[in-house]
Amino acid sequence: MNPVGHVRALVATWRGRFILAFIVVQLLLPLTYYLVRRDPHDERFAWRMFSPMRMAQCTPQISVDKQPVQLMATFHEAWVEMVGRGRFSVVEAMAAKLCAQNPGKRVEVSLDCTYLDRTPAHFGGQDMCTHPRL
Amino acid sequence: MAKKSKHGRGKQRRQAARDERVAVEKVIATSPQVPAEEPAFWFGFDVSWAKLVLGRFVLFLLLAIDSLLNFSHAPRYGAGDFNVAQLPLLDGLAPTRPSYAIGQLACAYLFALIACGAATRIALPIVAAIYGWLYFGSHLDSYQHHYLMWLILVLSCFVPWQKPADAVPATRIRSWALRLILVQLGILYLWAAISKINPAWVDGRTLSQQVVGSMKSLITSTVGFKIASVMVILVELTLAFTVWIKRTWWIAAPLGLLLHIGIVMTGLEIGLFAWLMIGMYIFVVPDRIWGWLAERSPLPTLRGFLGVVADWFAGAAGWILWVIAGALGLILALVARYDHAGAVGLVLIAALIGLTIYDRKHVARIALAHLVAFTLWTIVDRATTTAPDYYRFWGGSSRRLGDTKTAEYAYRKMTEVAPNEGAGHFQLGRLLLARDASDEGLTELHRAEELEPLKARAYVAEAKWLLQHGRRDEAIAKVREGTIVEPTDSEARSLLDSLVGGTK
Repeated sequence: MNPVGHVRALVATWRGRFILAFIVVQLLLPLTYYLVRRDPHDERFAWRMFSPMRMAQCTPQISVDKQPVQLMATFHEAWVEMVGRGRFSVVEAMAAKLCAQNPGKRVEVSLDCTYLDRTPAHFGGQDMCTHPRL
Repeated sequence: MAKKSKHGRGKQRRQAARDERVAVEKVIATSPQVPAEEPAFWFGFDVSWAKLVLGRFVLFLLLAIDSLLNFSHAPRYGAGDFNVAQLPLLDGLAPTRPSYAIGQLACAYLFALIACGAATRIALPIVAAIYGWLYFGSHLDSYQHHYLMWLILVLSCFVPWQKPADAVPATRIRSWALRLILVQLGILYLWAAISKINPAWVDGRTLSQQVVGSMKSLITSTVGFKIASVMVILVELTLAFTVWIKRTWWIAAPLGLLLHIGIVMTGLEIGLFAWLMIGMYIFVVPDRIWGWLAERSPLPTLRGFLGVVADWFAGAAGWILWVIAGALGLILALVARYDHAGAVGLVLIAALIGLTIYDRKHVARIALAHLVAFTLWTIVDRATTTAPDYYRFWGGSSRRLGDTKTAEYAYRKMTEVAPNEGAGHFQLGRLLLARDASDEGLTELHRAEELEPLKARAYVAEAKWLLQHGRRDEAIAKVREGTIVEPTDSEARSLLDSLVGGTK
């Protein structure tokens, strides 16, 4: 059966439509990492097991009105480890929690990351309560 | 008379084995009977029953064990009232410590049921939903393999895992979903290879920093990391195009098995993932190999025997087995060391009743699977440190987050489930001393000193307490004992030096 006939036959049944949708999603979803994802450290759904990015090491510094926050005493160590890998969404959620706990105060987050395959990068530095994204 | 009966049973088993062999030949000659719907690539894809049943048993048994091993991760869920869901819509439904723990126990139970071929049509969608909730509900444990396993579970809902009537090892079973699972593996390998087309991977730096253990020395002393890294890309690209095509399984099976056995040897902390992938390759190893193995002695005789045994439990005996399995399951749940195990065991009795109503034709099979599930709970509980680890992690995170009351409770539970582990007594002792429960605290530290004969930490903790209470000489004697049992402990050494220096 030629490819067009193959797809037409698939579209004709619910099982075929499911198969098509599943394959299209699975082929395209990892592309989002390369094309649209703003956080290079977030490799979820992209099948980037053991990639060089996995070796990224980030040092976070979070402060509330210039007073450093002890991350291990504030968040579970598993989350702190994730911040050490630079996961933006986790860092931003931590900042959001600190903003909610300290209304009117300045919550600053900075993330310094080193990589195997690129030059070191610095993220953040602004007041996360007014600009909540890194 | 008894001898005659024994001979009679032997004859029965031999006859059953003969009957099966005849049936195999018949099936090989005639199956598949119905022409496949188009496109045959999907709807005509079939595998032998031998392969399907072996794959089902191994894959879901591994998943059951994996769930039980994940149980100790529960304390990180909801700790410090913080969570980031992978899907924002799940933020309000994020798993917490108890719900994660209960979810993993339920998953382990359902996986064991599926492994045994019991109520797969209802158990699979339920377990896929629980697994998906646990995975997508939090970034914690958001590893790619959990995502892959969830996808496989969703697709498995459409695989006919239960034994068709009169099926024999060679019976062909059609499954488009199984083909899709293999295509999914192909997509995974393709993207994994693409992600490695990067100078930091190709020159061997990434691999050399990730691999530890025996595999590291093997690679260093043979091809080196640069060549090994390029080989990994080539293997993944080859698997991307061969793992889902029957004609190329003879290439994919050895390559894939070698790749994943290699990953097992790397020492990476990825749980049972590499083993799960090895289990997946049961579906890639060519059917004729499983068919050949299924006909080797004593398997045909064993199958015949099991068929006879199954017949014994077809009627009222099945219900007797059901009652026994229910009671034994509850006892095993009550003696399990997992938090909430008793309550989950009671709920699963209700699940047993529900599943039996759903599938009354297979009462004995469901009962047996129920018993297998709880036996697996017990084996993993008693053979690993999962249950004490759960309390240790809970106590540790609560202590660090400033919730000393919860930490004390968790460490107390730890000393109950693992009375011979020094860590629980040491941590509990420290917490008790910190809140001036001195007698009990010292008793716990003394117990830790007994159980950890080569560790100085309990001696140091006791010495510090003695010092705080003005008992300097006793503190010096205690910390000196600490330096004797663990001469390399820097804290004990510096405390002793500071005390002795102060005396001088």
